[in-house]
Amino acid sequence: MKKILLPFAIMATMAYSGEQFAMSDADRAMYAEILENNPADIFVEEGSEFFEEIGDEEALAKFLGVSEKDLPKYIASFPRYIKKLGNVVGVDQVLQAMQIEQGKKRFKLKSENMFSMLAYVKSLANDEQFNIDITADRHIKASYALGKKTFETKRGGRGLSCLSCHSKDVIGMILRTQPLPDLGEAGTGATWPAYRMTKSSLRTLQRRFQGCMKNALLAVIPIGSKEMVGLEVYISKMSQNSKKALAIPGLKR
Amino acid sequence: MSKNRKSMIKIKPKKFKVGDIVKVNFIVIHPMDTGLTKDKATRKIKPAHYIDSVTFSFDGKPFTTMKSWETVSTNPYYSVNFKVSSKGKITVDYTDNQGEKNSKSKKVKPKG
Amino acid sequence: MKRREFIQSLVASSALAMTISPSVALAEEVKPKKKGPNDMDYQTALDTITNKKEAKDSDKIKLTVPEIAENGAVVPVKVKVDHPMEETNYVKAIHILNTKNGNARCADVNLTPINGKGYFSTRVKLGGTQEIVALVELSDGSFIKTAKSVKVTIGGCG
Repeated sequence: MKKILLPFAIMATMAYSGEQFAMSDADRAMYAEILENNPADIFVEEGSEFFEEIGDEEALAKFLGVSEKDLPKYIASFPRYIKKLGNVVGVDQVLQAMQIEQGKKRFKLKSENMFSMLAYVKSLANDEQFNIDITADRHIKASYALGKKTFETKRGGRGLSCLSCHSKDVIGMILRTQPLPDLGEAGTGATWPAYRMTKSSLRTLQRRFQGCMKNALLAVIPIGSKEMVGLEVYISKMSQNSKKALAIPGLKR
Repeated sequence: MSKNRKSMIKIKPKKFKVGDIVKVNFIVIHPMDTGLTKDKATRKIKPAHYIDSVTFSFDGKPFTTMKSWETVSTNPYYSVNFKVSSKGKITVDYTDNQGEKNSKSKKVKPKG
Repeated sequence: MKRREFIQSLVASSALAMTISPSVALAEEVKPKKKGPNDMDYQTALDTITNKKEAKDSDKIKLTVPEIAENGAVVPVKVKVDHPMEETNYVKAIHILNTKNGNARCADVNLTPINGKGYFSTRVKLGGTQEIVALVELSDGSFIKTAKSVKVTIGGCG
């Protein structure tokens, strides 16, 4: 068992009882209702238009070498190694590659347009379980290992790692008025891209990682980099282990 | 001056008959700036920019009018009930304090 | 945002930065420093809408708001009025007000019998812990109201 050394300060803050700031079940029900009229739905609809421009499911299935029928399950197996691209990639990188292949204007990975298109394409796999096979080939093995390493590496001015606030030992403790979630049980990997209420915009998982890193004073890693894709594999695998089906777009604070 | 604003009208439940009372939900992408916040990039105060009126009509006849203020959340949501009288079209017209006028429609198709 | 800069400067200066007591972060009092374009306090807004007519508290109005709102930017509000919606007897208007924002008004909704029910729902911004008030005008010109407190926590990571 890895011993996690937390700065004294965080331990003190986390020790606070959560009751005075905890939202009740009735409160959570109200927020769950917002999901039915999620502003993200509008961005997802826009994403479907972008996807149409590059040929829809037919073109994506052809690019990936799978049948349209198998596409939803296949999407739920990302990130994965795509031989054509020589790397373990997320769905957004595949979409970008299609844009480049077709000579169309390519969206930057960190752009509203790409976030919208990614949300739409990933939502095609809604209700599917993740089926990432981390033993499939040496590439995905390495990606998972890199993701785990990145998750556990302490960096930055405060000497924090993702594990500092997201290890099993601190689940349920309160940090900055929020109870720390079990990333697997909370279905984290399965509910991003999501609408972030505090940012009033659609955000992706890797974009959220960046926000989290910034807050913890860690150097921000670029979206689409080996480390970020590795992190996405690692976090998605947690939802896979907890059997959380995809439900995109999500709704987050 | 009209801008191509993104919005959606959702009717709940999806299946209904004449005489039923349904929920008409309107969501729209709009900054709803209060005039008190700064633009992160330019560091200048963003002028107030918010939806100030919303009108729900059925086949051209308004059945709900409302004043909306900058205190409504960004990318707002407005929901009212509607008693289905016949097949037809619901239209939501909305304006904002900067003079933008926009509209969105959805067909009402009762079963039976 | 002042709070963010305050917290960031503390984080930069000492390891104890993380011990900022959450209760300090709770906005118990909202002190608007800047003036908004439509600023109006609750009492003035109430008087303006009712023309200083009495607005009795009524349990006919079901106001649903979260007890604790995780963030003040998106606070769901639902109003249901237990009252007929007939041609000559209906809920004429639902006004959503707040008690501590610079502008106490959120929405003024004019209903007609075609609505079928006296209902309105939206999502509002709250600058801090305060009350949401549902002020209802009936077709006979009378006013009723109800209020609920929403605790707005200003916390969370990013």
